Amino acid sequence: MASLLQKIVERGHYKFVDSAGSWQEAVKLSTEPLVKTGFVEENYYQQIVDCITKYGPYVVYDHYVAMPHSQENADGVKKTAVGFMRVKEDVDFGTDEDGEQKIARLFFPLAACDPEEHLDNIMQLMAVFQNEPLLDALLAAETPEDILAADAKYPSADGGDF
Amino acid sequence: MSKLDNKSFMVCCANGAGSSLMMKMTLQKVLKKNNITPSTLHHCALAEGKSAAPNYDIVFCAKNFLSTFKAAQEKGTVVLGLRNIMSEQEMERALREAGLLDG
Repeated sequence: MASLLQKIVERGHYKFVDSAGSWQEAVKLSTEPLVKTGFVEENYYQQIVDCITKYGPYVVYDHYVAMPHSQENADGVKKTAVGFMRVKEDVDFGTDEDGEQKIARLFFPLAACDPEEHLDNIMQLMAVFQNEPLLDALLAAETPEDILAADAKYPSADGGDF
Repeated sequence: MSKLDNKSFMVCCANGAGSSLMMKMTLQKVLKKNNITPSTLHHCALAEGKSAAPNYDIVFCAKNFLSTFKAAQEKGTVVLGLRNIMSEQEMERALREAGLLDG
């Protein structure tokens, strides 16, 4: 079975940019490949932006990782997928309530409408987020081939049995 | 027998679609590792979680949502906020500090 990153590459759901401007623009950019392939509508990013504005940058995790998402079956979501975007320059999401600076350079936007496929995506994504050598390689990636090479070199655990 | 056996758990995030699912997986790993069998393990969005929280023994959320659960805390629900929702160590530490996990 194709890994999450293989699926991202096969579907063309990746993007490499040097800088992304504001975090709002970065969120929009990260969803563009999903828009192009008809997985989400163009306005989907706005719901994600609204959500982060309302609740704070809780979608930014350790190791420069952000997982922009809205809810399951959100307006504008047509198919279930995870996207990938690597930004060379830091994208600043501001500080959280404890004053911790939230910075992202790897974006994994979520689109969810099929619960089973989404759960599988989340499980694989969680393994990726905990795989630091892989994240380092993804931060340095320039091409889809680099994504595949990183995935092959640093395979992620399957997330365990649940 | 652990103090956590047969307790009801809820994990909650803004949308119930991303981080709460990850938190649920982290919790499942922690429970399994410590041989704990919960009575229920529910994940949901904040809108549902806010009103449902008092019906659960233990609630996990990302720390930025802690203040949402004041009412539930006053009714006796243990509400634990996490900085890193994927960290089993942090979750175990939170349970230990709440006196719910030995060791």
